[in-house]
Order: sequence, then C-alpha cells, then structure tokens
Amino acid sequence: MSLSDGVKAAVVLFVAAVAQVSIFSQLHVFGAVPDLLLVSLVAIALLRGSVVGAVGGFFAGLLVDTATLGTLGLTSLVLTLVGYWIGRYGETTGRDRAHAPFLSVAVVTVLYQLGLLVVHFVLGESAPAGAVAQSLFPAIVLNLILTAPVYALVRRLLRPAGREELTAEVQLLG
Amino acid sequence: MATRSRSDRAAVLASSVQRSKPAPYPSKARSTLVRRTVVVVLVLLALALLTISFRSPTSGALHSVQGAGASALRPFQVAATRVAQPFRDAYDYVAGLSNAKAEAKKLKQENAELRRSALIASARAAKYPALLKLLHFEQGSRFPQDFNPVNAAVITYPNGPFAHSLTIDAGSNSGLRVNTPVVSGDGLVGHVTNVSADTAVVTTLADSQSFVAARDLQNGVRGGVKAGPDGTLVLSEVPKQFRVNRGDAIVTAGTRNARYPDIYPYGIPIGRVSSVGVTDTEAFLQVQVQPYVNFSSLDAVAALVPKRHR
Repeated sequence: MSLSDGVKAAVVLFVAAVAQVSIFSQLHVFGAVPDLLLVSLVAIALLRGSVVGAVGGFFAGLLVDTATLGTLGLTSLVLTLVGYWIGRYGETTGRDRAHAPFLSVAVVTVLYQLGLLVVHFVLGESAPAGAVAQSLFPAIVLNLILTAPVYALVRRLLRPAGREELTAEVQLLG
Repeated sequence: MATRSRSDRAAVLASSVQRSKPAPYPSKARSTLVRRTVVVVLVLLALALLTISFRSPTSGALHSVQGAGASALRPFQVAATRVAQPFRDAYDYVAGLSNAKAEAKKLKQENAELRRSALIASARAAKYPALLKLLHFEQGSRFPQDFNPVNAAVITYPNGPFAHSLTIDAGSNSGLRVNTPVVSGDGLVGHVTNVSADTAVVTTLADSQSFVAARDLQNGVRGGVKAGPDGTLVLSEVPKQFRVNRGDAIVTAGTRNARYPDIYPYGIPIGRVSSVGVTDTEAFLQVQVQPYVNFSSLDAVAALVPKRHR
C-alpha cells in the first residue's frame, strides 16, 4: 500500500469517526444508530487487507474514545479485531465478490455490537443485552443502506489492490 | 519447440525422484508474521490502554492526553455538527410534520382530560363553602338536639319560576319521610314532600303551599312564614300592636302544643326582616322577610331525621 493510499484511508476514517460521534450518533432510527465508521472500516479492510484494517480500526477506535471521553482502548480493541478479520476475509474468500461488502457489514454489525456488549460487561459497566438485541436488526438494515455508497466512495479513493500486491498472499506456480 | 517443452515437463512430472518439502516462500511467511505481529501488538496496546483508562478514568497522564485529544477534536466535531445542522433541521421538520397529526390528537385528548379534571375540581371547590357552612351548623349549638342530620347533595334544581322544589340524593333508606325538614348551612330550606328509596323531593319555603310557624328572635313575636313576592318571604298574621323591626332575625317557632307537633324544630334560621308595613285596612302587619337561603343555588343540604320517630 502506497503512502497516498494510507493518507486517504486515514482521512476517510478520521472524517467517518468525527461524523459518527458528531452526527450519526444522534440519529436514532427504531432504537438503532447507523455506524458510518464501521462501514468505512469494513470497506477499507476489504480493499486493503488485514494489516490496514487492524491499524485503521485501532486508531479509529482511539479517535472515537478520545472524542467521547470514553474508556480509552475499548472501541479500539473491538474495531482492531473487526478490521483484521474483515481484512483477512477480503484477502482470501471475499476477494472480488460483489456481495462481500454487504455480507461483511451485516456480520460485523452483529459481532461489533456483541463485542462491545461483552467488553462493557467484563468491565462491569452497563450492558443492556435486551436493548442491543432489539436494535440489532434495524442497525443491520441501516448499515447495509450505508454500505453501497460508502464502499463505492472508498473503492474510488483506494483503487483495488494490484496483481503484485495479491501475490504476497497467494503464490502462483509456473 | 513446443513439443520439446511439453516433453521436458512430462519428464519432470514423471520423475520418481522424491523432492524435499518446499520451504515456504519468504515473502508469504514474512507477510503472515508481520500481519500477526501487528494485530497482536495492537490488541495488546488496546488492552493496555483499556486497563489504564479503566483504573484511573478521571486522572493520570492518559486522561490528560485524552483531554487534550478531545480538545483538538472539538473544532472538527463543531464543524461537523454545523454542516449537518441544515439536514438535521430538515429531518426534524419532516419528522415533525409526520408526527403533527398524531401529536395534535394526543394533545387534544390530554386537553379534554385536563379540562374535565379542572371542571370537577372547580365544582368541588365551589361546593366547599356550602359544605363547610353546613358542617358548622350541624356542629353548632343552634342545631336541634332531637334530630340527626342526613347530609345529601342536591341533584336537581327548581326548573323555572313556577317550580319551587328540588331533588336530593337521600331517601327513605336514610330515614327520610314526608315532612322531614331540610336545612342548609344558611338556614331552613323546606320540607320533604315526596320520598323514594334513595331520593327525595324537597319543597322550598318559596313555594306558595309552604307555611312555617316562626317567631322574631329579638322580640318573640310569632307569625307564619309563607311565600311572598319576588322570591321573598312574608311573616304573616302578626297583629298590628306588636312591634317588628327591620333587620330582626326570624327563626322557626317549633312545637308549642305537644298534641299538635310542628314539623320544624325550634330555632332554625329562616331570614331577616327586610321591611315592615302597616295599613289602616289590614289587621296584621305586612312583614317582608329576606330568606337566608338562596333556593336556586343549593349544593348540599341536611335532612333533619328525628332521633325518635313520632
């Protein structure tokens, strides 16, 4: 990944994180909040792999925790794992598949909510499992609505990885 | 050339020489190692931050750094909020329009309920002075000792200028009989003329058929109170030689002869003398009495039920 791609990914995540804490966090639709940051991270991880996904998730989470003055590292931890996992999916089975962004966002929305719930529970903070369960379906729908435009924009900014980058994962014989 | 190449490859494939297991490609191994190292380091870093932040959420160096970071992010957040404000306003406007109908219906219902509650409260409040006065009368020394009060609410009022009766929500089940006297906190109202199990009709003193033996409280002059002109009462049959003064209080006279008991006990206030007239042709004084009770605005009354039925 080139430096310019890294800068673009960082800008995308920064803007998404700021928009998430300032704007999207106030949009409550059927008890759920659309997660622009999560969708952006999924798009970047799918296009740029697990390392970029993990690093992006870590710093994006750090940004969110800093802006909201929440427990530092909490969102970072979950988003790091999300970015890494989706990155691995993009590097392997999800590569070049049209449904990959949508499938990733749907699955990750559930895992992200559950991950946050578990971390909050472990820390002894409020972990309203019922409310999270009720808002899961609307959250998936909202994030899926965001997926197409966000993925298209991120894909336009970060061109898909070239052949030379792919060979780092899959060595071809002959 | 092509044939040779194919035969070469076939020769290689057909070779029975066992090759050693190929070593992993250096670039792939390095990539995996880097990837795993990065994610492990990041997770450990996140856990470390989480631990420190959780242990000292409001103090420490990390908190200061977080505060500085939040301050640095603040302008961006404000900018984002301002950029989004028109869209949010538009959304709120549309959402408000869609909710306006339901909101209006809900508010109308609330308004109706509040109005009903206010009416009930004000109606109860309006009855309070009359009830208080009635209570004072019942507990006062002027209340006849041989009677028990049966409190009742007025449920219908005199309907028109020719009707001088009202209905109360107490009847024979409460001990009321025909001719049971009825009072309010101000004074004598009338007597029961019809009774059912739970209601009774009270004919007021303003009725032309009413007649109450009465006396002037100041000078003891006796007479009979009956309906007069314009809602007033008249103290009749007072001989000219007696003196009745304007302002004198008129009360019920009570029983004078045990063989002919009066339906009204002694001492219940009826009214105050408003005028006294004397003519040469009449044998009696013309004494007008202004009743203490306003018969058209009674809320609560008490029927006087004798302790021992006669």
